[in-house]
Amino acid sequence: MVSTFHGLETAKRGMTTQQLALYTTGHNIANANTPGYTRQRVSFATAEPFPGAGLNRPQIPGQLGTGVEAGAIERVRDAFLDEQYRSENTKLGYYSSQSSALAKMEDILNEPSDTGLQAVMGKFWNSLQDLANNPQNSATRQAVASNGQMVAETFNYYYNSLERIQSDLGNEIDVTVGNINAIVNNINELNKQIAAVEPHGMLPNDLYDKRDLLVDQLSQLVNVKVHAVKPKQYGQASPQAAGLYEIEIVKADGTSYGSGAKLLSVNPADGSGAKLLSVNPADGSATVNSLTVKGSNGTGKPLEGNVSSITVGEVTINNLEFLGELGGLIESYGYKLDEDTKVSGYYSDMLEKLNNLAKAFASEFNKVHRQGFDLSGHKGKDFFEFAEKAAKTLKVNKNIMNDGSLIAAGFDADVANIPNDSIGVEKRESLLASSGNNSNAFRLANIMSKDFSQYESNVTLPDGMTNGSINSYYASIIGDLGVDAQSANRNKENVQVLVDSVQYNRQSVSGVSLDEELTNMITFQHAYNASARMITVIDEMLDKIINGMGVVGR
Amino acid sequence: MRVTQSMLSNNMLRNLSNNYNKMGKLQDQLTTQKRITRPSDDPVVAMLGLGYRDSLNKVQQYSRNISEATNWLDSTDDAISQGVKVLQRIRELTVQASNGTYEEAQRGAIAVEVDQLKEQLETIAQTQVGGKYIFNGENTNKAPAVGNFSDGDVELEIFDGIKLNVNTKGSELFKSVFETLDKLKSNLEDKTASDTDISGFLDTLDIEIDHFLKIQADVGAKQNRVDMMKDRLSSQETIATEIMSKNEDVEIEKVITELITQESVQRAALSVGARIIQPSLVDFLR
Repeated sequence: MVSTFHGLETAKRGMTTQQLALYTTGHNIANANTPGYTRQRVSFATAEPFPGAGLNRPQIPGQLGTGVEAGAIERVRDAFLDEQYRSENTKLGYYSSQSSALAKMEDILNEPSDTGLQAVMGKFWNSLQDLANNPQNSATRQAVASNGQMVAETFNYYYNSLERIQSDLGNEIDVTVGNINAIVNNINELNKQIAAVEPHGMLPNDLYDKRDLLVDQLSQLVNVKVHAVKPKQYGQASPQAAGLYEIEIVKADGTSYGSGAKLLSVNPADGSGAKLLSVNPADGSATVNSLTVKGSNGTGKPLEGNVSSITVGEVTINNLEFLGELGGLIESYGYKLDEDTKVSGYYSDMLEKLNNLAKAFASEFNKVHRQGFDLSGHKGKDFFEFAEKAAKTLKVNKNIMNDGSLIAAGFDADVANIPNDSIGVEKRESLLASSGNNSNAFRLANIMSKDFSQYESNVTLPDGMTNGSINSYYASIIGDLGVDAQSANRNKENVQVLVDSVQYNRQSVSGVSLDEELTNMITFQHAYNASARMITVIDEMLDKIINGMGVVGR
Repeated sequence: MRVTQSMLSNNMLRNLSNNYNKMGKLQDQLTTQKRITRPSDDPVVAMLGLGYRDSLNKVQQYSRNISEATNWLDSTDDAISQGVKVLQRIRELTVQASNGTYEEAQRGAIAVEVDQLKEQLETIAQTQVGGKYIFNGENTNKAPAVGNFSDGDVELEIFDGIKLNVNTKGSELFKSVFETLDKLKSNLEDKTASDTDISGFLDTLDIEIDHFLKIQADVGAKQNRVDMMKDRLSSQETIATEIMSKNEDVEIEKVITELITQESVQRAALSVGARIIQPSLVDFLR
């Protein structure tokens, strides 16, 4: 026999469930523009029907439905799209940071233009030719000294500016590492909060959203893999519960570093014996390992020298395959990790190339200059002075700046290889009478297009400086920079398109559509009204039974 | 596929931003007149551009060197012409003096004039151009002493690796002329000299004049060569400038057309976006 108030209970269940759905719709509408928000949906399921099968069941036609109940309030989210988004986001971070670092380098080198190193070396060549035209003229000599100083100053400027930006990149690396560690700590906090809610069978959707947003931010900085862990001792967690996030830094292809560079690791409790009774809501003690990036000179903050080690807890990361913004910054800054044999990195490479260029040029120039003789019949001294970091310290000999007559424009084959003071008196007399000799001026002017293999100075030239001349080597430096920058820009644009496309898909699945919510709102409202009307009907029926039965003839 | 309002508005923003990006690039090109402003725009163009700038600079420098060379050669040519005039005047005087009717005093007067003309020739030997003594070999700072000219060649680079010898050595030009003139003078002053002695000098003077003219011809040949090189350089300069321009400069008509197209695309995007994002279901529910 069905209960008298069966219909009331069914209608009441209908009303409360539709009300729940309406409130959820209101929540969705309110959060339509919240970043990282996933739309929520109440899952309706029919309630347990009556009667259940058994010997003592009432003999009524069955089974009669008993209304609706809300299963769970879930997020509509596709985890696979999340993974896709994070991996594309990592590449975007990598190429963006490379692209912006290389753009700054291009701004400094400023070629082709009228003020770059190539134009300044051209003017120096012009002044040497003018010297050849008028070797005894003090104005042309002074011009050579001044133009030489301009060449030196251009090298200094390039080196110092690039070094300054490199140190800015170092600061950025420090800040990024700090961000990564801060985000991981936040995720750990959220894990704890989630672990306090899930064992009760509820789904903390808003906390999930916050946590996923943090992981998205983290993925731009470094490539992470997320592993959801449900500890064994987890109360009555619902099957849809997401669990606690474990975060590991992985290479771009997904493989781990060593035993796993885990920023955040969750320890599922083993379910053995005595521990079954322990009530530890977070059971899953979490370990947060901080990410440390060390430089070759220092211990960490601030970063000094090239990056020499990247560690997460006790695991070392030995290459830059984790991409992300951090990978791009380190690659631009300069690094020598365990797997590498030499320092590499866009900025450290360019600084070294500038040093090599300055050193080769100045050494050869000095050698040829010393082979000539000046206006007072003395052999030439060193024209340029430089120290360890040639491009940074290059300058023109002060004595030559003050006295242009010390420039050795003349050349005599007999005198070329004699050390300075041992020129005979007669020879000196004849040198004094050769103020119009300009052969050394030509030899000096020729250095810029002279092939490296014909260099007379003993400077050791590094790889890459075996063929070609100063001019062609510099052109190739600029060409390489252009190609690197162009490829970083192109990659960034391509990956941006992919990121936008995945984001589009994510929004399609999880975004709030106001029209859809309004439509749902109408649907739930009608269902609520209908259930309420049902109550009125049952009420009238009961009224009939209670007040209307058994009054025949009254 | 499910599409939400936020997707539509994000799309619109992104497309507008891309459009502005393109218009910004076109604006850059129009204002700088160059296709590339940084090496990453087109690395090959940038590298070639460096090379072309270098070539153009060299061609311009060689033009300057050539005017310097022209200076040398023209001055030398002029000096030699004057020298020839002097020698011809001396020859006239010698012809007069070898005329048997002249007496001692008149010969003496001729001797004085010959002396003056010899000094004139010495002055010519000490010609200066731009502070340089052009007949003194490499010793351009000091005036040559008579009969003691310094040696050495002065070369200027008039093209890549091509050097031209621009000076004329005084020792070459004036090698015997001062001796000859000294002898002539002493003969004129010598009372015992006969007419034939003096007329003997005519041949010597002719030889000297021929010598001067021969050297002048050499200088003339060099001047011709320099002129040809100058023509070649000026056409080289045009070619180098043209190549550089073709490499780097924009075609204005093309850029302006693209800019106009991009502007109309922008307007279309704005108006379509405005139409789409405004209406929603709320407008139609009672």
